[in-house]
Amino acid sequence: MAPTRKRRRSPIGLAFIAPFGALFALVFIVPILYAAYLSLFQDKLVGGNTFVGFANYVKLVQDPQFWDGVGRVFWFTLVQVPIMLVLAMALALALDSMRLHGARFLRVTIFLPYAVPAIVSTLMWGFLLGVKYGLFGSLNRALGTDLDPFAPGTTLISIGVMVTWAFTGFNMLIFYAALKAVPRELYEAAAIDGAGEFQIVRSIKLPALRGSLVVTIIFSIIGTFQMFNEPQILPSMVANSGVTTFYTPNLYAYNLAFTGSQQGYAAALALVMAAITIAVAYAVQIRGLRNAPDQ
Amino acid sequence: MRLSHKLRLLSAALAPMLALTACSGGGSGSGSGGSSTGGGAEQAKITVWSWDGTVEKAVAGFQAANPNITVEVVNAGSSQDEYKALDNAIQAGSGVPDLVMFEYFAVPYFAVPGKLADLGELGVDKLKQDFVPAAWSDVTVNGKVYAVPSDYGPSAMFYNMSTLKKAGIEKPPATWDEYYEAAKKIRALGDDYYIAQDTGDIFFLLSLIWQAGGRPFKVDGTKVHIDFTDPGTTRAVAFWQKMLDEGLINTKITGWSDDWNRTLNDGTLATQTMGGWLTSTLPERAPKAAGDFRVALMPQWEQGAKTGAANGGSSFGIPAAAQHKEAAFKFLEYFAHGGGLSTRVDAGAFVPNMSVLENETFQGKANPYFGGQKVGAVLAEASEIVGSGWQYPPFFEWARSIYGDLASPFYTTGQGSLAEVLEQWRQRCIQYGNEQGFEVS
Repeated sequence: MAPTRKRRRSPIGLAFIAPFGALFALVFIVPILYAAYLSLFQDKLVGGNTFVGFANYVKLVQDPQFWDGVGRVFWFTLVQVPIMLVLAMALALALDSMRLHGARFLRVTIFLPYAVPAIVSTLMWGFLLGVKYGLFGSLNRALGTDLDPFAPGTTLISIGVMVTWAFTGFNMLIFYAALKAVPRELYEAAAIDGAGEFQIVRSIKLPALRGSLVVTIIFSIIGTFQMFNEPQILPSMVANSGVTTFYTPNLYAYNLAFTGSQQGYAAALALVMAAITIAVAYAVQIRGLRNAPDQ
Repeated sequence: MRLSHKLRLLSAALAPMLALTACSGGGSGSGSGGSSTGGGAEQAKITVWSWDGTVEKAVAGFQAANPNITVEVVNAGSSQDEYKALDNAIQAGSGVPDLVMFEYFAVPYFAVPGKLADLGELGVDKLKQDFVPAAWSDVTVNGKVYAVPSDYGPSAMFYNMSTLKKAGIEKPPATWDEYYEAAKKIRALGDDYYIAQDTGDIFFLLSLIWQAGGRPFKVDGTKVHIDFTDPGTTRAVAFWQKMLDEGLINTKITGWSDDWNRTLNDGTLATQTMGGWLTSTLPERAPKAAGDFRVALMPQWEQGAKTGAANGGSSFGIPAAAQHKEAAFKFLEYFAHGGGLSTRVDAGAFVPNMSVLENETFQGKANPYFGGQKVGAVLAEASEIVGSGWQYPPFFEWARSIYGDLASPFYTTGQGSLAEVLEQWRQRCIQYGNEQGFEVS
């Protein structure tokens, strides 16, 4: 629906967004500016704080540990996000088909993992996938296999399972809401025209999900690029899972700042990561919304 | 620079935990007007950051004797979490506590950049002769004392007697050679049986090196020398390499995990060579093994020798930015040396004070979890034989955090060697230390 009336601009609107604006500046703009300021300094244990210009950025670009983490979240995003979103979409379509018994119960149970804090869910999955006494241990004993979900080569897959479990419900809810917004008359009209269930899905429902798909992709990209809790907690549960102090960029920034007292370097890392994330998310948005109807 | 100062204050106020302590810090400023003369008849309120529950027990007795000083004990997190909070508070310039708990290895990290007060100025030297010398040397940095030892972790061997008996071992291994032989017998009991577990525990490896006479870190002011090739270090590393190579150590179970608890409970993990503090946590971790465990001195490198090492333990220091240094020191003296000590010992603290360690009641107390063994006597002896002259580099907190990154590939694949891991570690430490303004070689 294109805007037909011209809106009059009125200063009263500013008063309404002022509280938001103030908070936004305080918790968002100011910290970013402060990080940018910090990133130009190096605070040494001996010798104190010195201005180093862009040295932290130069060092970061040449830091293999940083790129190791970036590469890891990049591949993770490429594999995990499509799996999770296809799953979420299938569930949303199933719920929307109104052919399921106990749809309300299912909706809540699928969403529920999202309400579990990441720390709790990591602990839970750690026990579940544990080789010694967990579910995998029992499976291994029963089948005579030697599978270890937390070996260095498979830890990332296990984290993918945890993340998918936690966030599928959230994304499903977004898709479900979008489907609910489709006028029911459209289905009726399609049915009268002789469209089958699958044709309705393909021609009406999936196009209706396009906008939300862009949103969920962007949320997911931001989410994975910020991955922190899972790799932070896993090492205390399982031995030698391959999780390093620089496993993800966020974890690396945290360790640099708080165990290495390299706040300036960590700030530079955070800003570069923010720039990368924004660039990727923006690219997705532009591509995703090109030729999209009603946007 | 004014603006940056304000921003720093702001960022501190945004951290909720700091905001809390900042409030209490602000309140205490009113009494003495921010000067450091908290003693005397003036009213002072001091804030103590501690994760040691026994410290809180000494507060009532202290306040009865010093009605003008109010003590507030805050748990600002354990270990790393607390250090982070302290670093933040110091950087923000507000909410700095008056007394802070530090593991021994963290003392130089705060002392070298001048973040801790020199306790010599407050009269700490008169306490020295009552403390275990090795513990006192842990809190001494470049000849100055920056903290007072408050609990101690002399390395000792905790062993499961029934597992040892099952393997046909009558006496706990007294030397590392005997330990090696015992390890093979225990391994023969079955797939899950091991004499010990290790997934790259740097504190254990260092205690082994320490006991063997290795002194890999030499710190002199801001000069740090790191060398993992001295004879003591080489000997300890080669021994542990042999244990790992021959599959005598469980490298799948990580310490403090749920799996670890289970192996301690069911007796498949026969020994743990750790700090004496395990005495208080083992009963919680392995309640099913009650009565099975005993404590002995660390196995020795030479038959008949008596040398030990430490693994962990902590102390309390006063931040340079603290408001009430004298009042803080008064309380520190009370709970770490004076009247509060007995309250803490009764509450389970293991302290490096000679007056306690040599006390007959302390040494004679039977511990029911350890089958009635007089654990205090063993740990007192372990404390007194700790090898002297050990030093941690000032950036050990960082160094230990990355040790796992380097050791993990070796522990998972078995390729490479501990010596190679230590060499990589040395290289990284040299690079980092130099970046941080030290002269590291």
